[in-house]
Amino acid sequence: MKSNNQNRSKVRGAILRTFGRFFRSSKSPGPTLSAMVILTGIFMVIPIIYIGIRSFDNGSQRWLELLDTRIPFLLEKTLSLTLTVTFLGLIIGVVSAILVVKTNLPGRRVWRWLLVVPLTIPAYVGAVSYIILFGPRGLVDNLFGTTIDVFSFPMVVLIITGFTYPYIYLIVSASLQKINPSFEEAGYISGLSHFGVIRKVTIPMVRPAIGSGAILVALYVVSDFGSVAMLRYPTFTQAIYFQMGSFDRVGASIFSMILIVITLVFLGIQYASKRRMKFYQVDGTSKAPTLIDLGKWKVPALIFVSTVFGLFAALPIGVLLYWSGLAVVEGVIDSRFFAFTMNSFMAAAITSLLCLVLALPLIYVKTRFNSGMSRIVDVISYLSYALPGVIVALGVIFIFINYIPFLYGTIAMLIMAYVMRFLPQSLQSTESSMGQISPKIDEAALSLGKKPVQVLNQVILRLIQPGIIASFSLVFVSVIKELPATLLLRPAGFDTLAVRVWIETSEGYYAMAAPSALLIILISILPIRWIMNKY
Amino acid sequence: MDKRKIWLVALLSLVAVIMVACSSDSEDEEAGSNEETVGNSELEGKLVVYSSRKEEFVQPILDKFEEETGVEVKLLPSDETIVNRIHEEQVNPQADIFFSTDTAAMEFLKLEGALQPYTGEDAEIIEDKYRADDNSWIGLSARTRGFIYNKDLISEEEMPQTMEELADPKWADEFAMVRGGNGSMISQVAALRTQWGDDKTSEWIKNVGENAGAILAGHGDIRKAVGAGEFKFGLVNNYYYHQQLGEPKDNNVGFIYPDQGEDEMGAFVNASGIGFIEGAPNPENAEAFISFMLEEENMRDFSYNSKETPLHPDVEAVPEALPINEYKTMDMPLSDLGPVWNDAKQLIDQSGLPLEVQ
Repeated sequence: MKSNNQNRSKVRGAILRTFGRFFRSSKSPGPTLSAMVILTGIFMVIPIIYIGIRSFDNGSQRWLELLDTRIPFLLEKTLSLTLTVTFLGLIIGVVSAILVVKTNLPGRRVWRWLLVVPLTIPAYVGAVSYIILFGPRGLVDNLFGTTIDVFSFPMVVLIITGFTYPYIYLIVSASLQKINPSFEEAGYISGLSHFGVIRKVTIPMVRPAIGSGAILVALYVVSDFGSVAMLRYPTFTQAIYFQMGSFDRVGASIFSMILIVITLVFLGIQYASKRRMKFYQVDGTSKAPTLIDLGKWKVPALIFVSTVFGLFAALPIGVLLYWSGLAVVEGVIDSRFFAFTMNSFMAAAITSLLCLVLALPLIYVKTRFNSGMSRIVDVISYLSYALPGVIVALGVIFIFINYIPFLYGTIAMLIMAYVMRFLPQSLQSTESSMGQISPKIDEAALSLGKKPVQVLNQVILRLIQPGIIASFSLVFVSVIKELPATLLLRPAGFDTLAVRVWIETSEGYYAMAAPSALLIILISILPIRWIMNKY
Repeated sequence: MDKRKIWLVALLSLVAVIMVACSSDSEDEEAGSNEETVGNSELEGKLVVYSSRKEEFVQPILDKFEEETGVEVKLLPSDETIVNRIHEEQVNPQADIFFSTDTAAMEFLKLEGALQPYTGEDAEIIEDKYRADDNSWIGLSARTRGFIYNKDLISEEEMPQTMEELADPKWADEFAMVRGGNGSMISQVAALRTQWGDDKTSEWIKNVGENAGAILAGHGDIRKAVGAGEFKFGLVNNYYYHQQLGEPKDNNVGFIYPDQGEDEMGAFVNASGIGFIEGAPNPENAEAFISFMLEEENMRDFSYNSKETPLHPDVEAVPEALPINEYKTMDMPLSDLGPVWNDAKQLIDQSGLPLEVQ
């Protein structure tokens, strides 16, 4: 009995020491964890460095050639689209956020959710539904014999804005809810009208949120491939994809470098604006905020939110439902469709698990040690945050051809690209829950006589549960939606849902594209709760 | 309560994942048992096919092969860029069979050492002109380049009768053509280079590109647009004309085989076919597949699906098709195009015809 007790305390001591290494806030996280962080860092960064090196394969001549011809053209096209979409997204996002949060818009609680729905529709799926509707020989063309040019600049802007404005909307409405009503009251007391208060008090207070949202939208536009490619609008991502198609890897690398610079600029602006946001943030009070009475503006306001919801949620989902219905009638949903679905699910599940396994030790290091290591984790989760899929694919191809040829052409290539793209999401969503576990909590549990395994099961895992689930579902959904890297890296016979949407749309078989597109949307709706919490 | 729900979701997704994993296993097993029940075949494993053809024209015949032999066929449906991929993968070949729309691209790959000879004697059934000298690629069905026209908008007599005429400003905005990066376009340009030389070809590309009313992503768009009367005519392969005739509407179209005059060069005939990839991971299956494609019945199924003209002498063409010996064709063997194919795309790019639709 006595020796048993002694043994137990010995074991406990040993395990405590091991855990102590995790939980003690020391200067260095120890060799194992440091190695994990550094290896993951290298894994994430090497492909990008490799692209940089390859872009100088033929010296600087190719650079000069492209700087003279394609680059100015692509810059103009990319930036004009990005700026226009961001501007329009700001109008839609800010106006709808104010209507939902600050006014007595009828059904505002319902609208609050409805206006986020477009976020679950990947922009290229949205584009598909618009092409089905307005494209040459599409629904409208067949009915009326004429149609609008879905590939024209205004339509491209409208479509991409429609599926990206929710980023601005979400961030701005979150920020609006935090405003202390006393400031607005002060505005009214000074004799300002409703409009005056919004313009002079409310908007300036949420300006950092507006900036943050705008940058997110801008980052989305410069890095997205599917929507611009389907709408035949030339941007850097599309150019990189086509250069890779003609196996001009040097050209693709050069375009990639420019695109990386553009995203870095946006990330820099975002970083600065986030820092500023901290100064602006104002604590809420217990006072209920007063809602602005819309009065005669009720109807126009309702028309506005209904139009936004109609154009970018009801319409695309309706179109896809209709064509999916046709597909069911035509018997298109066959064993092949299920095979594609399974491919998608399998790749998504493997990636989500792998991301978790990689993310958890990194987050341990970040939350427990205030050292250089945790800064590396920050850089990892920040840098590859906005890395376009085409660039990741290019880097992964380089690595596999040169260093791991025996895995070239296998699903491993695909998984590596997914992990590179989506590990940051995993890091972000596990970080907050891991940060909540104070080292004191597990010490307390141990001192209460719980076995270390019990501590792990009953305390730590339970506490980071939400983070694990959020991470798993966010990464899962991102993989299901992923298009460019999948197109470029999938092995023969491994088409995913996203790939099928691409293939069938480009060949004009809408009835075959619709079920896959619809399924992607349905899966994307699942983690919307975490997406909404994120902002 | 809420947390439990979340766990439930997580658990369900895990179960789903496990089910996916298991069911894909059982699928493999099923394929294995299928193979045993067929019995007459000793083939097993898989066949990896890279294709630059539209999936719809390839998938049915691959399904048939899979059904008959039990070999699991893995298709990578792509476009003409797959040629570069095969070229690049020479050090580490992934595919067994290249399904191509274009013999010039296959001859290019053969010259680069990316294809290996096929030794079966059944290849001899195809005319020499339409296969490689070592049968490393074999043409299966012919496609002739010409003009599809809308009979409501223009008569046969008014139509241009030669390729050269397309560059005439008289036809400005009247016709549609395909983007310069399209495989059929690249090969046609390669063929023109052998007839005209680079300077004249480049000048022609430039003028035709400027003349075109629209440069579209694919030939399917062109036939539909001409059928619908958006353009008087378009530059396509003849089987697109056959396809448009089969449409329920917009089907009042005709086809011109160009350059038929006495001292003119004749129409450019290309072929769809298959190439046997050097270093193929599953060579037995690849050989079995080539042999399978050369069987009359399969050749018929394959070419009727796309309405191309079968190159097997005993297989009749679709009724819409003009038999290949009833019009004048360019007389060089298709393998002559291999050497001029590689930089044809560059020539197109330099001449100002966009490679991609933007």
